[in-house]
Amino acid sequence: METKMGSASSSSKLELRNLSKVFGQGKEQVMAVDSIDLDINPGEFITFLGPSGCGKTTTLRMIAGFETPSQGSILLDGQDVSSLSPDKRPMGMVFQSYALFPHMSVYQNVSYGPRIKKLPAEQVKMDVSAVLDSMSLSSMANRSPNQLSGGQQQRVALARAMVMQPKVLLFDEPLSNLDAKLRAQMRIEIREVQQRLGITSIFVTHDQDEAMSISDRIVVMRNAKIEQVGIPADVYLRPASVFVADFIGISNFLTVDGVSSAGAGKAKVNVLGRAIEVPAHKEALNKESILLVRPESIRVKPAQAGNASVSGTQGQVKQVVFYGQHVEYRIQSQVGIITAVVSDPIFSEIVPVGEYAEFAFDPERSWLLPADS
Amino acid sequence: MRGKTITTTVNVDKPAKALKKKSGIKLDIGTKTILIISVFLLLLMVVFPLLNIFTRAFDESGKEVFSTIFTSEVVRGIIRNTIVLGVVVATLGTIIGFFLAYAQVKLNFRGKKLLHIISLVPLITPPFAFATAVISLFGRSGIITRDILGLTPTLYGLPGLTIVLTCSFFPVAYMSILGMMKNLDPALDEASASLGASKLKTFFKVTLPMLIPGFASSFLLLFVEASADLANPLVIGGDYTVLASRAYIAINGEYDVPAGSAYSLILLVPGLIVFIVQRYWGERKSVVSVTGKPTGTPTYIENRIAKFFLLIIPVSMASFIVLIYATVIYGSFAKFLGVDNSPTLANYRYIFSGIGNDAIMKTTIMALIATPIAGLLGMVLAWLIVRKVRKGREALDFLGMLGLAVPGTVLGIGFAITFNHSTKIGETTILPQLAGGGAIFGGAVAIIMVYTIRSSPAGQRSAIAALQQINPAIDEASASLGASGFTTFRKITLPLIKPALLTGLMFAFAHSMTTLSPIIFITTPETPIMTQKILAEVDSGRFGNAFAFCTLLIFIVLTVMGLINLLVRGKPNSSSSASNTPIVRA
Repeated sequence: METKMGSASSSSKLELRNLSKVFGQGKEQVMAVDSIDLDINPGEFITFLGPSGCGKTTTLRMIAGFETPSQGSILLDGQDVSSLSPDKRPMGMVFQSYALFPHMSVYQNVSYGPRIKKLPAEQVKMDVSAVLDSMSLSSMANRSPNQLSGGQQQRVALARAMVMQPKVLLFDEPLSNLDAKLRAQMRIEIREVQQRLGITSIFVTHDQDEAMSISDRIVVMRNAKIEQVGIPADVYLRPASVFVADFIGISNFLTVDGVSSAGAGKAKVNVLGRAIEVPAHKEALNKESILLVRPESIRVKPAQAGNASVSGTQGQVKQVVFYGQHVEYRIQSQVGIITAVVSDPIFSEIVPVGEYAEFAFDPERSWLLPADS
Repeated sequence: MRGKTITTTVNVDKPAKALKKKSGIKLDIGTKTILIISVFLLLLMVVFPLLNIFTRAFDESGKEVFSTIFTSEVVRGIIRNTIVLGVVVATLGTIIGFFLAYAQVKLNFRGKKLLHIISLVPLITPPFAFATAVISLFGRSGIITRDILGLTPTLYGLPGLTIVLTCSFFPVAYMSILGMMKNLDPALDEASASLGASKLKTFFKVTLPMLIPGFASSFLLLFVEASADLANPLVIGGDYTVLASRAYIAINGEYDVPAGSAYSLILLVPGLIVFIVQRYWGERKSVVSVTGKPTGTPTYIENRIAKFFLLIIPVSMASFIVLIYATVIYGSFAKFLGVDNSPTLANYRYIFSGIGNDAIMKTTIMALIATPIAGLLGMVLAWLIVRKVRKGREALDFLGMLGLAVPGTVLGIGFAITFNHSTKIGETTILPQLAGGGAIFGGAVAIIMVYTIRSSPAGQRSAIAALQQINPAIDEASASLGASGFTTFRKITLPLIKPALLTGLMFAFAHSMTTLSPIIFITTPETPIMTQKILAEVDSGRFGNAFAFCTLLIFIVLTVMGLINLLVRGKPNSSSSASNTPIVRA
């Protein structure tokens, strides 16, 4: 991680210990978060990613203090904050709906926190103006929230949280209400601000593009538990489970047999009639495993003339979609439908529907992982 | 940014579920204290009297009344009268309320705003104004009936009661239906049209079915209020005895408290049934579209013939009300309306003398004291119900509404029974005598309590509706910025619910000034109440004085309402927040 400008000393560490949350009682009980253990490093931008109901928002709200943990603790710089009410925690939160105070102007919204802290008026003015400036909101200081666009409201929400110089910044799907283009733009802005100030940040989203593009680490959650924690490359290229592989990006899962160890982190497998050596998850050798090959790792060529069969590394093209920069194939293979993405395709080598194609991939670009039920 | 259209179920009478999962924070010490104090006040002012009237009603003569429900033709007759009156008034009131609401939403005409104001005027009118005016105009010696038309109808009894009660209570139906109609998504009409339905068909197949729950709820509300009314049956009821008047006679005439308790408890039955039915049948709530911002322009009906027919009832009703008011005001300045119309100030001189003056001052002061308390109580309860309390929310809401849900006679008798003596546990006195002669402050405490407990429910409903409009994330945002619960309430919640608060306060004062049925049982010579004095004047046939009192009362109510408006300084959103305020005068 790059050094943050002058704030490494003030970045905070957050630890979640055996954190759980149960809703309801008796038969109607729902376990929303199940024994989460996580260390979040100072200045880190970590994203909780997962489908609806996986527990990511509940976890965030427990950190913020809007939900009381049923079990476990939350430690900020070593101190247990689990029993502190939200107004006593030095954390800022950006809400999905922005939650700007409708009866206050932009300036009043942003200065709300400092005023609560009873900071001297001069300082409040300075701090607020600086933050508004940095987010290009100075010209809108006197507008009321309903006079702002979605992107502007979002910036105000961020400014309002940031002016407090919180130890931790929490984001609850703040970009869901924006259109795609604005979303892409805003997430970069958020990341830039966070990196510049070095504030430890926790971001919740169900959008994998978002998670991948701005996080230092991603926490993939499913059914109240953590499936995997890792840097984006880890989560994408070295998923720990079929769920993670499937949730992020598109996956091809090829059935294999004859799995045996081939040294540290490697395995020998038979797939598509060939024996190859592939990188492997350490659990893949103990359990039933499956081979992940990403579509972009597969090369596609028209099959040799006269060789029309579905066997080995050859199959029939069921669907071709030309996107310009790449072509997406669906090929019927011996082990099922394979999705392949070929970038910068050679015009004469684009295989039409119904024709047969040869496909291949570099074993180093595949990944053997446990096939869970 | 165009508002999104969210379709959600809306039930005016029940606290709706929070927008997100309810927050799982334990209540802090401050909130717990407030909760305990509020519940204690409600228990003291509503539950305690109710329990007492229950127990009393089962004493000797009370039990006799209950047992004769099925045997005595007299008692059955009284019950029948009550029900018939309730049904008739509820039906007429709902119909009139509907036509008025429809005119507001679907028609465009000059004087629309005026019509709206006139439709709300009966809410701040003292109960006897209508009755006395109607008698003067349409009675046996009525100006219109005898002098102009040469008829001598019998107005006393069901006919007169129907006219007067319908006029008094239709605004409740009006506001309720108006609120519902305003929430109907105009896109539904457009969708219906795009599918080939004519305007008439759309009305019968789309609009009307969606309004039926609103009609039903208005009908039930009106039924309860009309059947519980005491003031008008005493004045214009004649031989038509209803449970409320029978209870009054039992207590003030026969000094038979158990019997009186029994009669008024019978009244409790329809009220509670209605209440329960509304809560549970309200599970199948009306599906109303709630838009963040308007998604379509309301389409007005332009057809002149249709407009004409639709406006017959509204205009007639409005004219009638104006006529009544004109009669009251004119009558206050006339020697004896209908007999000697020469102008005089004698009536006013009378009411400003001695006793009259006392009543005016004391009533106004007590109402003024009760109003902020009621407003505060209603608001605090709403805040607890919507934001803070999770388990027992429904119970708290029910408890808060109880003061208005029980008939006025029940509450009044209950108060008399409970507070006519000091409250003791064993040998120690925990509460001094609060009501009746010899009580502290001459019984003013009990009266103020009754005022408070009868008007806080309206504020509660109004504040709940307003709070539900606020995204709970706003409270959380405030907390995340370091504001304590109380600071958040002060700086964020309060400013945002100001309009609702304002409505609550204004109606609290109006209601307190014009109520009779609970008060009549606990007034003392030291705490004369204006409405009680008006009743006395009407009973003695001194209509001129009655008119003067009424006019003055209306004047006071309007003035204070205007002052409250200025004081709290927000724009009163008269239709949408008021539509959630059930107004009872009984």
